[in-house]
Amino acid sequence: MEQKKDLILKVSGVTKRFPGVLALNNVSLEIPKGVVYGIVGENGAGKSTLMKILSGVYEKDAGTIEFDGEIIEHTTPIQALRRGLSIIYQEFNLVNTMTVGENIFLGRFSENGGMKGTHQKARELLDSIGSKIDTYSLVGDLSASEMQMVEITKALSFHSKLIIMDEPSSSLTAEELKKLGDIIVQLRGQGISIIYISHKLDEIFEYCNIVTIMRDGCVIDTKSIEELTRSDMIAKMVGRTIENEYPPRAHFAGEPLLEVRNLNTSKLHNINFTLHKGEILGLVGLVGAGRTEIIRAIYGADKVKSKELIMEGKPVTVNTPRDAKALGMGLVPEDRKQQGLILRFSVGDNITMAALSRIAKRGILNRRKEREIAKRQIENLSIKTPGAATKVLNLSGGNQQKCIVGRWLELDPKILILDEPTRGIDVGAKYEIYVLMNKIVEQGGAIIMISSELPEVLSMSNRVLTICDGRITGEFSPEEVDASVIMDKAIG
Amino acid sequence: MEKTINVKKIVLQNLVLLGIIVLCIVTAIVEPLFLTQDNFTNILRQFGPLSFAALGMTYVIIGGFIDLSVVGTISLVGVVTLSLIDPIGQAGALFCGLLLGTFLGFLNGVILVKFGAMTQAEVLFITYGMSSIFGAIALIYTNSETEHMSRLSNPYTIFTFIGNGKIGPFTASIILFVIALIIIEWFYRKTLWGRQIALMGGNKTAATLCGYNMKKTLVLVYTICGLFAAMGSIVLISRVTTASPVAGAGYETDAIMSVVVGGTALAGGTGSGIRTVLGVLLIILLSNCMNMLGVSTYLQTIMKGLVLVIAIWLDNRKEQQIH
Repeated sequence: MEQKKDLILKVSGVTKRFPGVLALNNVSLEIPKGVVYGIVGENGAGKSTLMKILSGVYEKDAGTIEFDGEIIEHTTPIQALRRGLSIIYQEFNLVNTMTVGENIFLGRFSENGGMKGTHQKARELLDSIGSKIDTYSLVGDLSASEMQMVEITKALSFHSKLIIMDEPSSSLTAEELKKLGDIIVQLRGQGISIIYISHKLDEIFEYCNIVTIMRDGCVIDTKSIEELTRSDMIAKMVGRTIENEYPPRAHFAGEPLLEVRNLNTSKLHNINFTLHKGEILGLVGLVGAGRTEIIRAIYGADKVKSKELIMEGKPVTVNTPRDAKALGMGLVPEDRKQQGLILRFSVGDNITMAALSRIAKRGILNRRKEREIAKRQIENLSIKTPGAATKVLNLSGGNQQKCIVGRWLELDPKILILDEPTRGIDVGAKYEIYVLMNKIVEQGGAIIMISSELPEVLSMSNRVLTICDGRITGEFSPEEVDASVIMDKAIG
Repeated sequence: MEKTINVKKIVLQNLVLLGIIVLCIVTAIVEPLFLTQDNFTNILRQFGPLSFAALGMTYVIIGGFIDLSVVGTISLVGVVTLSLIDPIGQAGALFCGLLLGTFLGFLNGVILVKFGAMTQAEVLFITYGMSSIFGAIALIYTNSETEHMSRLSNPYTIFTFIGNGKIGPFTASIILFVIALIIIEWFYRKTLWGRQIALMGGNKTAATLCGYNMKKTLVLVYTICGLFAAMGSIVLISRVTTASPVAGAGYETDAIMSVVVGGTALAGGTGSGIRTVLGVLLIILLSNCMNMLGVSTYLQTIMKGLVLVIAIWLDNRKEQQIH
């Protein structure tokens, strides 16, 4: 009884069913006041569904939720906010064309006696977390980290007792992350509880006091952080033990496959490099350094000032992605939802997309072959889906990504370009993607890989190029050189 | 539980068909004249110009865009075709009319690509502008006068047949329409180009990165739309035996309405010409039924507006259910 007093949130037996999926199965959590509570789990484990129920976006099917000693039957996002439960999504909910102050008190200007009071109040709140952002600057001009501060301040303006942070670090640099850490500690000191959801286990270990591990809609375990090790956590998340986060590096000894010479665009300066058969080449650099621009330029997706490509010894012209595809290239873009998938289309349609031009005879499609391809790649990549006709948006991030990779595997690409192939996908699916990459190079293909996760790109690549400010600043063999040396070159 | 969901789903997916049936039953009970042969022929006759224009519009909307220029195209093609019967004969005029419509559509597509118009809003305004240009050319060409077939010296039997001919119980224009529908639906469903239209509407960035030429696909859908608008225009002048330089007015909204009411998503990516046929049928029946029931024209316009708003509302609800 005594302990109950100190709980900010008590979730018991919450169940949520979607057509065909049991998203949450009898989930129970107890979150004390003033702690940072980590929730980890693979994509599709039910974390987001649970948060959406807490914040009133979804209705639960069964179970009870007790917030701050009060049983909550129905709630809406705005009621949840007013009760003191805020959620900061991965994609911020801010109006880019309005000022910081206006965003913090959006729709509540009169409560502060007009605009002047609003900015004053916003200033006080920002000061309270030690942020120096001008309340009169436009949100659209802020960096990702500053926007996050605005979101946190917005949560504070509602006198939140519980703040949910969903993947808060996904767009932050290392330094910004440290700042976020400081603020989390400070909020905790004020008695505010935080639910911290992240795929990045380092952060979970650094910030969280208690961790709940979820899998397949169930709570697998809840432990205080001291009782957990990294490998325990991963094993519980995926339901099996993974000895290694990365498969052994594939070896290669290939001749040059693609030579890129004299590549210049408005953002890139004199890019020259060679990709070999059977090689995984990693591009390392900060976001905005020009990594994506390089691969898009090679693939013919962007305009270039100059570019020479030599493939297997012969000069080739790539002006459009169509040319690139004809030469045996494939691109898995960085933004899965905006650039990769047709979310409203079926899994099958998304998988067969690239192969259509090959199976079409004189422009006539072949439905039977399309079904075969979809079936083959679903099996080949063990894509978890009820069937090929399921809409792709119903799959988890990892399985969505596999659909895009499968799309290209069907064409046996000579060069597969992967831009952030494991962003936002869980440990188990990541490993499967790595294994796939190794399989592609073993079969004589080559991969260019971009990743913001340094350990990943260093563990997977045979060779890395560091990119800074649109230039190649170094070339390393990650097996021989220390990660800090490489990062140093990438930062410039 | 499962069963009720399924019934609801079937009802939701076939709302147009349901609407058509309810409309027919209600009107037939209140006004028995509705079921006469004369009225049936009357309904089939109205199936002409709008159904062609709406069918062409369907593929533009599936491709994720919209075309307001059908107004200008219908007007211009009509006056040019009729005026050519005397100088080059009726077959030549018919052919030139179709060619002109196709060219106007192609021109729309090329201009949109050149101007980099890649959103529905940009396309809306540019095609509106193109429509004004086509319409104004029609006015200049005719000196703002209506042309009459009865004043022609060459024969115009093909046009008479298209306008009034019958094969069995069906009008010639309906048969032409069914043939056109079968061909274009086959093209859309079975060919790579047809699929590219759906891919464009689904996600043009993804489709481009998969190696498909979205610029050509865009030109293609507007060319198809131009051709179908021209067919509609020819059916129109054949029916009324005159060609007015402002004959196309209102066809763009009715065509878009038929497409959306039929259930083709405004967001693009999915839909079909057959759905549009149902949409056209619903709109024609709506005005036919209301005419029979003696509803005033203004009230009819209100009803039409309501149907459009409800159709878009349902369209959005469907989208939300997906998300």
